[in-house]
Amino acid sequence: MSFPHLHVASAYSTHYGVTLPEALAEQAAADGATFLAVTDRDGLYGAVKHVRACVAAGISPGLGADLEVHDDDTLAPLGRVVVLAHGGSAGQGNTGQGNAGQRNAGQSSGGRGYAALCRAVSSAHETTARLPGHPPSIPRRRLAQLAGLDSLTVLLGPASDVGHAVERRDNPRARANLVEWQRIMPPHSLALEVVCHLTEPGMPGSVAPATRMLALAEYARLPAVLSNAVRYGTADEAVTADLADAARNLTPLAQLAGPQLAGPQGAGPQHSQTEAGPLQVNGQAWLKPAAAMRQVARMVVDAGQHSDGALARLLRDTHDLADRCALDPIGDIGLGRPRMPEASVIGVTRDPLAELWARARHGIDERYADAGRHGLTAAHDRLAHEMATVESLGFAGYFLTVAAVADIVRGMGIRIQARGSGVGSVLNYALHTSSVEPIGNGLLWERFLSPERQTLPDIDLDVESARRHDIYRKVFETFGASRVSLMSMTNAYRGRGAVRDAGLALGMPDTQVAAIAKQMWRFNARDFRAALAEKPELEELATEVRESAQLDLLVDLTARLDRLPRHISVHPCGVILSDASLLDRTPVQASGMGLPMSQFDKHDMDPMGLIKLDILGVRMQSAMAHAVEEHHRLTGEHIDLDRVPLDDQATFELIRSTRTLGIFQIESPGQMELVGKLQPEVFNDLTVEISLFRPGPMQNNMPLRYLEAGHGEVAPDYIHPRFEPILRETNGVVIFHEQVMRLFDELTGCGLGHADVLRRHLGRPEQLSVIEAYVREHALGRGFDAGTIGRVWTVLAGFGSFGFAKAHGAAFALPTYQSAWLKTHHPAAFLAGLLTHDPGMWPKDLLVAEARVLGVPVLGLDVQRSALDYRVESVGDGQGIRMPLPELSGSSDAERARIVRHQPFTSLQDFRDRVHPRRRTFEALARVGALDSFIDHDRTRRHELLAHIQSLRGTAITIADDQLAFEVPLPVLDYEGPRFDAVTSLQLRGRTQSDLELLDTGLAVSGHRMRKYYPLFAELGVTPASQLATLPGGTDVLLAGVRRATNTPPMRDGRRVVFVSLDDGTGPVANVVFFHDAQERIGGGVFQTELMLVRGRTRRSGARGVSVTGEGMWDLVTVARDRARAQAKAARADGAAGVNTAAAAAAAARPLRRAAGSGTTEFDLWSTQSA
Amino acid sequence: MPQIIDTTVQVELSADGDPRAFVWDRFEHVVIGQPQAVFTRTRWWENNGTPTRIDTELWRVDAARGGEDQHRYDLRHDADGTWVLALDWG
Repeated sequence: MSFPHLHVASAYSTHYGVTLPEALAEQAAADGATFLAVTDRDGLYGAVKHVRACVAAGISPGLGADLEVHDDDTLAPLGRVVVLAHGGSAGQGNTGQGNAGQRNAGQSSGGRGYAALCRAVSSAHETTARLPGHPPSIPRRRLAQLAGLDSLTVLLGPASDVGHAVERRDNPRARANLVEWQRIMPPHSLALEVVCHLTEPGMPGSVAPATRMLALAEYARLPAVLSNAVRYGTADEAVTADLADAARNLTPLAQLAGPQLAGPQGAGPQHSQTEAGPLQVNGQAWLKPAAAMRQVARMVVDAGQHSDGALARLLRDTHDLADRCALDPIGDIGLGRPRMPEASVIGVTRDPLAELWARARHGIDERYADAGRHGLTAAHDRLAHEMATVESLGFAGYFLTVAAVADIVRGMGIRIQARGSGVGSVLNYALHTSSVEPIGNGLLWERFLSPERQTLPDIDLDVESARRHDIYRKVFETFGASRVSLMSMTNAYRGRGAVRDAGLALGMPDTQVAAIAKQMWRFNARDFRAALAEKPELEELATEVRESAQLDLLVDLTARLDRLPRHISVHPCGVILSDASLLDRTPVQASGMGLPMSQFDKHDMDPMGLIKLDILGVRMQSAMAHAVEEHHRLTGEHIDLDRVPLDDQATFELIRSTRTLGIFQIESPGQMELVGKLQPEVFNDLTVEISLFRPGPMQNNMPLRYLEAGHGEVAPDYIHPRFEPILRETNGVVIFHEQVMRLFDELTGCGLGHADVLRRHLGRPEQLSVIEAYVREHALGRGFDAGTIGRVWTVLAGFGSFGFAKAHGAAFALPTYQSAWLKTHHPAAFLAGLLTHDPGMWPKDLLVAEARVLGVPVLGLDVQRSALDYRVESVGDGQGIRMPLPELSGSSDAERARIVRHQPFTSLQDFRDRVHPRRRTFEALARVGALDSFIDHDRTRRHELLAHIQSLRGTAITIADDQLAFEVPLPVLDYEGPRFDAVTSLQLRGRTQSDLELLDTGLAVSGHRMRKYYPLFAELGVTPASQLATLPGGTDVLLAGVRRATNTPPMRDGRRVVFVSLDDGTGPVANVVFFHDAQERIGGGVFQTELMLVRGRTRRSGARGVSVTGEGMWDLVTVARDRARAQAKAARADGAAGVNTAAAAAAAARPLRRAAGSGTTEFDLWSTQSA
Repeated sequence: MPQIIDTTVQVELSADGDPRAFVWDRFEHVVIGQPQAVFTRTRWWENNGTPTRIDTELWRVDAARGGEDQHRYDLRHDADGTWVLALDWG
């Protein structure tokens, strides 16, 4: 005989349950159970995983939630109860698939219990939203309302108000509380829950209160059911539950357990065993097998005075309730049945399919208007092909929905770009969901959707990061909160968090735990012990662990916590769209940004038939939008980036020059080098470039093979003439998923849909032999010889899973091209966008340097002109970028808003009167030169200005925005006369404008930091970064600059290579590579020196690619100081003996120049730029 | 006052898994009625090594030897499976 567990917390009851649903279901099934419920605390967090695990294990799932309840009127807490969903008649109704407009979950009996449960959980969380600080709790009358129509059973157990009274032996109160429940709840919706953890007499969870609960049920003529209030699968996991208790209470175990072993009279826990009290009383809350549960039942019945047959009745009632609560995954929960928003919501009045056809045909005609008759026909044919799949899968509503969202975003004037395999669809292109043309780019529909594909389609929309939340709100508004929810994500324990919480439980000192946590990386916490044995860098810790029993325990406990769910938070981009039944299928709670968030994560979406749209904020989109806006503000012209022709030669020339800093996707040192090699000429080259720059292709030397064939060094190897059309675009190298699919299709005739299934199975080693047999069998029949088949199979099998969908590459290539186009034609606006939204990998200093090189000066802070973001200004004939007010460190939002509101200012007094800056802000503005307009931009008078501001005295007053300011007379000073020359501010003396800017804004815009070293560079013969590309390979050079990036990419031979990007202010960064021997010679300086002088040799890669192999390195600051001393000494000697100064200086430079060699030409760049 | 026994005994279990009888000092003691189990927490974090259990299993049984008066006994079931007759409550 089996036992059905009705009250089980999974690991998704964070810091409470510790066993994953899959393990629980397997364990229950192994014990012969036919039913298992999961009733997580405050939610259905583990519900979908549980249902799927039960399906896999062949048992019936039950679902419930362990919820707190309160009185509607007084808000008085009524303890915790278990709310269980009843099953309906399985499989009834609900056969329509994807039929928008159909709403039946709440009406037929199938799913009613589950819907009520979802609503109950959401309701509990509404309380938290309404009463901040209040834990999730459902009002009792709301629970009663939801329990109607035989939807729910509420279990009143030890943690309920009834159970509390029973625990206290307060029989009258227990009965009165129960009567109140019976009065409010609908008939047949209540049962009493008997829990006995066999604790010592007098403790919560002992046999006495359990038997009294049973007696109360008999008295009240209510069913009593037995549960074990389970928190873990097996008895040995009780240790992990102890850790969870410590983590939840943020208290070490020793403190939670009290001074001594808590006996009946001891200072035991005050809470009931099933309540989230400080520490579980013992370790019996495991998923006990049927025999052990019956044993408990016998002890409970035997401990009290019960009528005959009490034992059998208790077990029978438990089974009966389990039968009522057995849910049908399809009929009750709707597993696997997608639901789109109703057509009417997106403004569709006719059949969605007909509507989709009409819109798509129209879109094709418009999009392919210039494609010629042939192109247009091809597009319509492709559309018909795609629509056939859409129709058979019933996804018309989905495509209309996504297109509607894209329309909403565009309607808000926000940039949008589709990404992912959906870009391969001509339908998406026609609907303007995507802006990449799929046919010409060789993208395949089947990579996105086919009848063979079992998962719901996935279209990702990249939008401006700065507007993402606005979009969410608008989507909620448009579709209605009953159809939209944000998605959540489960954050699990990783190494550091695990070791911290394990250390906390053991009461170890914070500093000790932190020191260990710092070393927890590059391995999983569950492998902590193995890592200690293997990793040389952990040797010291391993020794400590051997010597300390406590540390040894810590290692085990850390491994136990690894991967356990820790908390949920809102997913960064997932938005769930559904019909009006959404809230019957997922519970929601408030997210950090206030909008409702589903308790389900991304793994739950597909099984639950929930359509998830990834609306991802992309900073580059914001940066480009800013650029377009700035251009419009200045010129009145509107740039439509999505209509910029994709064949602009100037744009490609810029990319080929490797001056790609700031351009989407191709601005890293590695990408600069690859772009230099590949020399892209057309849009497709960008797609290839982006796809090649990935770990798999890079480590397999694919760029080289692609290049060699491209340059005609070797003939492209197409293996067989029939593969040439597939592999021509990549010179015979298989790069894209789409190519693999086509190869499969050509070899076997399996169709592209099935080819995608085969492709995905390539990543599973155990599938390879099956696929190979299939390919060989069919390819022979299709006229391929065994040799060809063998060769192509080697390529396919080696391809494994590391390829890239061309659709992704093409979707990335579009913003790459667009940003390059902006940089080419509107550098000032583009850089203003980059500086404002900071989308890339480089620091702002380098962007400023790049702007300067492009002839776009970045202008300093000025209270008359600076705005809240980087703005383009006309400067002479050209354009400059004005630094914005938020760059001033320490100023407040309110101050900045007042400055912008009141610009311009007639005088310093006018500024003070209308802005009322705080003293700190006022002084900083003066120091950095933002007030120079009040002293006729005469920098020398800044001393006087600052001194004056510092001398101001007055009473602090409160002004608008709770701002302190000084109410003092501020005469308009007469800044003239000799007395002002006498004033020197110590804050200004000896500091260059760059120094001051770095001090108050962290960003030097007036000049490049390296500029003061230019005379030195000229003297030493340092090659400017901008001239590097003009030198042949193998030239000895000296480089100098400030470090902007350090990369240590993994290399094939496992030896570390360090890439340092140096900025000398002349152009893009110079990339220096330090190989192993150089690293050993130079030591820590490779990572630590900020301003450096490097000796090395140029290394050419491809037509425009150049980098420098670093051989020696010096600290530039030291070199400059030593030379200054040498020169001073030489000058003294000169004065004494009349020797030529220049000769002495040259002599001092000799040790360095020796290496520079004959290849170094003299560059006059230094002298012109240092002027 | 209970008498401390603290000796290993052989325990015979019923089909349900409850102790049915134990052999102590060569005499079989037969359990009368439903025995009660009690699990008491340990402060495992103060000991060496990670435990497989965090509590001690104790059975309180009423048992009699032959026709003699029944006594109340505490039987401890250790993690390694051995049974120890801990106390004789008289």
